[in-house]
Amino acid sequence: MNAEVEKSSKPIPAADELTAPFWEAARARRLVIQRCSACGYYNHPPRQFCDACLARELAFAPASGRGAVFSYTVMHQRDVAGFEGEAPFINIVVELAEQPMLLMVGNLPIGERERVRIGAPVEVWFEDRGGGVVVPQFRIV
Amino acid sequence: MWQGRGKTAIAGIGYSEITRKPEKPLGLLAIDACRAAIADAGLQARQIDGLATYPESPFAGAGNRDGEDVVSVSFVLNHLGVAADVNWYAQIETGMIASPVIEAANALIVGACDYALVWRALHRPAPTSGSGAGKGAPRAGGDAQFIAPYGAASIVQTHAIAWRRYMHRHGATREALAALALNSRRNANLNPRAFFHSTPMSRDDYFNARMIAEPLCLYDCDVPVDGCVALIVTTADRARDLRNRPAYLAGYGQNTARRRALLYYTLDDYMACGGSLAQKLWSAAGLGPQEMDAAQLYDGFNPSTLYWLEAAGFCREGEGADFVTGGRIALGGELPVNTFGGSLSEGRMHGMGHIAEAVRQVTDRAEKRQIPGASAVCAIDGSPMLRGSGIIVTRDP
Repeated sequence: MNAEVEKSSKPIPAADELTAPFWEAARARRLVIQRCSACGYYNHPPRQFCDACLARELAFAPASGRGAVFSYTVMHQRDVAGFEGEAPFINIVVELAEQPMLLMVGNLPIGERERVRIGAPVEVWFEDRGGGVVVPQFRIV
Repeated sequence: MWQGRGKTAIAGIGYSEITRKPEKPLGLLAIDACRAAIADAGLQARQIDGLATYPESPFAGAGNRDGEDVVSVSFVLNHLGVAADVNWYAQIETGMIASPVIEAANALIVGACDYALVWRALHRPAPTSGSGAGKGAPRAGGDAQFIAPYGAASIVQTHAIAWRRYMHRHGATREALAALALNSRRNANLNPRAFFHSTPMSRDDYFNARMIAEPLCLYDCDVPVDGCVALIVTTADRARDLRNRPAYLAGYGQNTARRRALLYYTLDDYMACGGSLAQKLWSAAGLGPQEMDAAQLYDGFNPSTLYWLEAAGFCREGEGADFVTGGRIALGGELPVNTFGGSLSEGRMHGMGHIAEAVRQVTDRAEKRQIPGASAVCAIDGSPMLRGSGIIVTRDP
């Protein structure tokens, strides 16, 4: 791809010390989720201490990138920052295979609106938005 | 049973104008509502020696300029002319507007103050769309960095996603939401303070409305307004000497459920929130859902009303959609719901309209909406995101 990828006006994730490993992995086309070394609980978004057991020993672990559509909506309102020109667009919430209620959000192309359903199996892919911004997304498999 | 049952009462209600074209700043609307509540109770401002509010903006990022976007305890202290020696105040940030009422009741019971003024002021934030053009992409930090880049940071999407799961789990359709929206609009048409007082809505109007976040349409969202509602809470003994029949506080409950997922509030969270506060509400008042003459149930977004009907035990889980059809929730029905029009049709007062209407119903002040002899009405102000809390008011202590 040409180095001059058209820059998106979609909000840019502002990585911080806590979240940088997630976004660095995404740039390398890998999905990692913060996991508690003490109890094994996956925390997403990442936390300073484990949401389940309060332990501070946390590390980013590779995730399968597989899961299922937990729910979805087709957004019509044109007041979502950076998405004003996108409506209607699909938001999905994905429940990752690793743990119940371990949720991530993503988008599907609007052409998928008749195909998307709760429970549909999905896998991760990585969307390059230019300027070094790569975000995990999911597609129905 | 709550040992404070029947020991306090709501003795005055005040409304500012509820409007989408405010002619005055929010702070002045709040002063209007506070003065109206004080006058309604037959008090003077200088007798008010307790203050409480839940001051939050309608959503994060909607501004927090005191007197313009929010109306704090300090604003009212500075501008209303209350007692020189205000004895007690509370600015509650958890539990929505029923929580300051609850705090006021508990303060009154221990003698911390004599007459508490509780208000909720809300503004309609300026639209944010289009303003980002040409300024480059916004940056999303904190937990929003995992949501905003996908255009999923709007609260209506959270509700749409939860309602989609409800439909999937229980086989419900938009008919249930239509029944709720139409019921609220009919009731608002009988409520002179309602934003949609003079605007009827037909079934076609509902189904032809534009989608906001599927499957939620325009009329599944509360109507954003500028306005303020205020209440006077006092001890039962003092209330009996005031102008109006008192609405006795029989019990309260607050949501203390633990959230299930870190990223997003889910349908399970809504149900857990409702169950958590309702269990405490019924147990505190020694009353059950079958004893309610009406239910004022939070409807920031329309599906919430269904969740509270189920979570509070008015019907079984999954049966809400059947429950709300066939006239059961209409005035004159088995369980009238949101008899004032709800936030959907009165305006987004974040639960204060629900409390005010519960008070009106048990004190014979509900105008054309009056349920004859209503003796106990609940007002549940619940959202798992904002915690939520509920009260029951009764005709007799």
